[in-house]
Parts: sequence; structure tokens; C-alpha cells
Amino acid sequence: MQGKERLTAKELFAITVLMIAVKIGDTTPSLLAQHGKNAFWLMAPIAFFTILPSYLLLMHLLKKYKDKNLVELIEHILGKRAGKLVGLALFLITFFSMTIDTRNYVEEIKLLYFPEATTSLVFIIFMGVCFFGAKKGFETIGSTAWVLFPYIKITFILLVILILEEVVWQRVFPIWGTGLGQIVMEGMKKSSIFSQLIILTMAYTSLRKTSMFHKGALFGALIVIVEITFFFLLYCTMFDYNSIEKVAFPFHEITQYVNIGSFFTNIETFFMIFWLLAAFIRFILYLYFTAWIFGAVFNIKEFEPLLLPFGYFVVILGLMPKNAIQNELLFRENYLDMITPFFLILPFLLWTTAKLRGEFKK
Amino acid sequence: MRPVFFFLAVGLLFLLSGCYDRIELEEQSYVIGIGIDKADNDEKGLFKITFQIANPEVGSSISSGGSDEDPQQTITVEGSDFITATNTANSIVTKEIVLDHTKVLVISEELARSGDFLRVVQSASRTTQLRRGVQIVVSREDASDFLNNNKPTLETRPHKYYQFMLNRATETGIIPDADVHRFFQITEGDADLFLAIYATTEKIEEKSQGYEDQYIAGQIPQIGSNATQFMGSAVFKEGKMIDVLTGQETRLCLIFDNTIDMDDLLATYPDPIKKGYRIAASFIKKEKTKVDIDYKKNQPSKITVTVPFSLEILAIPSLVDYAENSENQKILRKTITDDINKRAEQLVKKAQQEYRSDPFYWSIYVRKYFRTIKEYEKADWNHDIFPNADVKLDFQLTQIEFGKMLNDSDLDAVRD
Repeated sequence: MQGKERLTAKELFAITVLMIAVKIGDTTPSLLAQHGKNAFWLMAPIAFFTILPSYLLLMHLLKKYKDKNLVELIEHILGKRAGKLVGLALFLITFFSMTIDTRNYVEEIKLLYFPEATTSLVFIIFMGVCFFGAKKGFETIGSTAWVLFPYIKITFILLVILILEEVVWQRVFPIWGTGLGQIVMEGMKKSSIFSQLIILTMAYTSLRKTSMFHKGALFGALIVIVEITFFFLLYCTMFDYNSIEKVAFPFHEITQYVNIGSFFTNIETFFMIFWLLAAFIRFILYLYFTAWIFGAVFNIKEFEPLLLPFGYFVVILGLMPKNAIQNELLFRENYLDMITPFFLILPFLLWTTAKLRGEFKK
Repeated sequence: MRPVFFFLAVGLLFLLSGCYDRIELEEQSYVIGIGIDKADNDEKGLFKITFQIANPEVGSSISSGGSDEDPQQTITVEGSDFITATNTANSIVTKEIVLDHTKVLVISEELARSGDFLRVVQSASRTTQLRRGVQIVVSREDASDFLNNNKPTLETRPHKYYQFMLNRATETGIIPDADVHRFFQITEGDADLFLAIYATTEKIEEKSQGYEDQYIAGQIPQIGSNATQFMGSAVFKEGKMIDVLTGQETRLCLIFDNTIDMDDLLATYPDPIKKGYRIAASFIKKEKTKVDIDYKKNQPSKITVTVPFSLEILAIPSLVDYAENSENQKILRKTITDDINKRAEQLVKKAQQEYRSDPFYWSIYVRKYFRTIKEYEKADWNHDIFPNADVKLDFQLTQIEFGKMLNDSDLDAVRD
């Protein structure tokens, strides 16, 4: 893989944050709000801390082996055959996550900004951009992410400043929303919203030094959880508990609502551009990592030609759900629940196998 | 590879600058105000929908061609919701009707009281066209009449007119800040009352004995200028209008409600020493109102409301010396606090007994006593907690200023 010499902790930090924290701008909040109502912001830390032990364990393992990325690690520990199987499962999971998520973003863009255009056209253009981005390679993606990072975050901070006035903090009460039990349960089930943290470890050996990966990824994860929790809290206090579950795209509802003074009204397009940039980075990475995992599993060194067919399949499969609500509330919801155990168990499985085979004693 | 890439790029150029969603500015008609009335034949689900469309050429510095055109066009069509009505309206209006810049949603009092309003506005919020910042105005007459009669003289461009008019009137507190977002939060929250702006273009019998804010729209004695008056608020309970509050009552509601800003409140109070005169003062509330609810299950809860405020005396027509005479000042302080307290208590009592819910958005303060939404809804704010609560109001006059004059001139000495 190219770019081995260039990328450092800061690019990985930007990648981590952009890849995960952009979830504040899609339908994830409304998905969680279906279960938690005004307490859904608590589900983010619950989900995060559920996946955190697995993630840290995986990082620990990677550190032990030093020169292996995620798939190589799996194959090394579990053996060729079982390793390939798990790797394939990982690929399929990533691929379908990408498919479902892209459809969501495409629907969102179409619904809010291009109501006349057809979904398929927006989809093709969106994936086309992602394909060209992904083709540039990991190094370019990393530097792009780092370059765009401050602009994207500054606009998000601006949005926070503008919206703070409208927020009614007392709306977080009743504090447990639909009930503590349900929040914890649903939060744990949805911990796969942070599963990209684990997928990102594919890039473990692609930085200048592996220690940089630890620094960038952990610091990125910290920012991600703070940002997501804070934004979810804003949504909870901006909308009352009965309204929050009806709003499909809280981020865009908010951008439509705010004004800068009485002269700059209707400024949502300004925020949309930076949100879209973040979304592009996210899906460029998604596409790239999917191909990367596939290449690693099937020993394809030059996996970049795979990007185009994968992009094509994403469009074809992504167009299959009949509408965005079906995609979101049915597929995505169940899918997130389904893949959670995989990501929670995988690191423990690796660790136990390694332990039993006496790998650590060498 | 190169030529392929080149053709692809050129191809994308056509694709991306293509025809979907591309619309020129001059191909759009910007609706500034939407009016909704009940249809004439009383059919269910059918409404009379009025669009007030701005003419962007008027008032701009390059208005060479169409400078003698009207600044606005108002048309009324029938329809079941106002998104499809935009298409019907296109049989009259030349360009695509866009609701993105809508500033006000005017509904007639008749429609508001019938309870159908929720239906219309709910269906509109599904599209992205109607923004959450649109202000809800209830007009005494038909909304179509309101929009047709409203002929602003100074701000002829309608979007500026509504923007400035509503901004300023909200600042003075005589009308509430009533956007669609707030309407949904309160109506769906199903606990408090929502206040919409009350307005009219028709005079009703003038109130002769009114002071500066004891009116509702239409009662204010006015000579000249545009006949549109924005004053007071329409009270909505569960999406249905139940009453009208005067400007003064609206101001009190805003004082009690921390979620709405209000910064400029000029009012007069009875002069305690020379009866018949009134003292003008600016009511300044810089700190937040403290609402303390002591929730008790199965017995009346205690609501303690503390309003810290300061006054700046603007005029003392009776010329009594309040500034230097501390005895007089003490009396003045007491009268003013008592006066506000009395009016506020009346309002709270009215809310408790008549509306059986509160227009102050106080339900948010009781939520902290509950752990889950289920418990909170079971405790039932608007049927159980608020109507039976023991409300104590405490207006605390922290500071009283007398402006830049130390004392008024002595009238007797002048007339000597």
C-alpha cells in the first residue's frame, strides 16, 4: 500500500473523527430517538462504552504483533481457513453497512436539496465522486481529511453557537426517557454505530509508525464520543420528547431553522456544503476500506481496480429498498443490531485463541 | 486513459449542470405570507389558501423596468393543503411558487377555533418547504382579508415588513414569539398552552379606557397609516384556539417564560400619591425568572415564581418627588410591585381555572421529579399538577433608576 511513509497521527485522527462523527448529520439520531426519546443522547455513550473494551483489546493485540493489520491479524491468529472465513464476514458486513448508509445519505441529499432529481441519478453521482476519491489512495484521502477537518468542524461549531439560544435544557428531563432499562439495552445493541473504529484498524500498518496509530485513533475516538454525545444532547433539548422521534434529519432541521441576524436567513446550504464534504470523506473511506479488506482476504495486492465494481454494486443494491423509511427503520435498525455481536466478540475471540495457542509466550 | 478521462469529465459537466432542480431566480415566485381559511362550503378537509407573493423588483436599486408594479400580489385558491395549492395557484401565477421565504402563516380565528389547524400545518411540515422559523399569526377576520388589507406604507416590501414588524413587536412583548417549531414542541408535548400572534386589519369597538398595552388587536385607537395591528396573543390548547390574551397579559406570559426573549417593556403604573396620574417606567428583566416547583404526589404542588426586575422611571407627570424623597420612593416601590403582582395573579388564576393549563411553559420545571416519560405523563401536568397547584408569585424590584434628571421642575413655582 502506498503512502506508508507519509501519514501520521493527525491524519488518522481526522479520518477517525470524520468517518464516525458525521453520524450526527444523518439519520442515526432519529433511529436512536425511536427508542430513547428525550434520553437518546445517553445511548451514544452507552453504545461507545459497550464497544470500548473490545476496541482496546484489539488495539492491544495489534500492538503485540506490531506489523499486521486487522485482516492479517485475524488470519495469523485463527489460521488460514477460519481466518479467511472471518475476514470474508468482515468484508460482507462492511460492504452492506456501506450500502445501507449510502442509500440514507443519498435519500437525504435528494429529499432536502434536489427534490426533482431521481434517487438513482444522485446515487450514481455520489458514488462516482466517492470512486474518484478512493482511487487516489489512502495517503491522499488522509491528507484531504486533515485539510478539510478544521473547516468542517468550524461550521459545526458555528451551528452550535447559533442554536444554543433556542435550546431548552430542561427538556432532558425526565432523565431516563422511556426507561433506564430500555435505554441501556438499545444503546448496547446499537454499539455497532462505532464499529468503524474496528474497521479502521485495517490501516494499522499504513502510518509512518504504528505508535502514531494508537495516538491518532484513541484521540479521535475521544473527540468522536464527545462530539456525538453533545450534538445528540442538543437535539434532545432542541426538540421536545414527542417531537424528536418524528424528525428524520435533525441536523438539517436545525440548519434550516437558524439565521445569522435578520439579513442572512435561509443559510442551510452553507452548512450543507461542509456536511456533504464530510459525507464524501466518509464514503470514500468506506469504499476504500471495503476494497482493502476484500483485497487482504483474497490476497489481492493491487486492490484498487476493485473500487469501481464495488461502487457499482453499492449503487445497485442500495437502490433496492423501496423507500428511505424502509431502509432506515427496517434494514438499518435490524442490521445494526445484528452486526453488534460480531464486533463485540471478534477481539475477544482473537485474544482467547492467541492465548490458548500460547502466542504471547514467544 | 487520458482521452477517456477527458470525455468522462466533459460528460459529468453536462450531467452535473443538468436540468434536474436547476431553476433560475426569476422563474420563482416567493411567497411571503400564507393565509389559511375554512372553505366557504364547509366541506371537511378543504381550505381556502391565500398566497402573498413578493415582487422582488420593487425596492431594489435596479428597478428600472417594472418600477410601477405592485410590491406584492395576493391570490386565494381552494385546496386541501398548501403544498398542492401552490400548483393550483399556478393557474394564475406565472412562475413556480416557492415557500422557502415564507415569513408568516396567517390563520383565521374561525379556523383556529375549529381545531383543524393542526391538520393543515402538520401535513406541511413533511416537506422541506415550510420552515420551522415561520411565525404563526391568528387574524380576527379571514386570513385572505387580512393579507389583502395589509398595505404597509413605509416597508412596502412584504418580507421586510413582516420581519421588522414582528421582530419589533416581539421585542416589546406585546406579541409572543410564535414560530412553527415552538408550536410543535408545545402542542406535541401536550402539557402547556401555545401563544400565537394575534392581529387584525379591522377595527372593532375601541377601548376608551385602555392604557398602553391593555388591548387586543383591533382595539387600539389609531389615526392614519396602515390599519394592521399586531397586539396580544391567541391561546392554543392542544392545537385548538381557546382564547385571546391582551398585550399586557402576553407580556406577563413572556416575563414568566424563560424560553422566550423580550427586552423592551415600557408601561405605566398608577401614581400612588396623586391619584389619576400614571407613572411611566421601563421594565427591565436581565436575570432569568426563577420557577421552583415543589412537586407532591396526591396533594397540591407548590409553584414559587421569583421575578427579579429593575425599573427605570421615564416620566412622572404628577411631578411628585420620588427621586429624592425616600419615603415617597418606598410607597412607589410598593405600589408598582403590588400592581404587577395583582395583574399576574389574575392571569395565573385565569390559566388555572379557565384554561386548566399554563401559557408560561412551566411544565419543563416539573420534569426533573420524574425518571421516565411514563411517570411524567401519568402525573399529568395539565389535568392534575398545574390546575391544583398552589402558585406563589414574587416580583422583586431590585433597582429603581430615575433617568438623567435629578428632579422635575416645581409646577407651582413655574406658575407663580
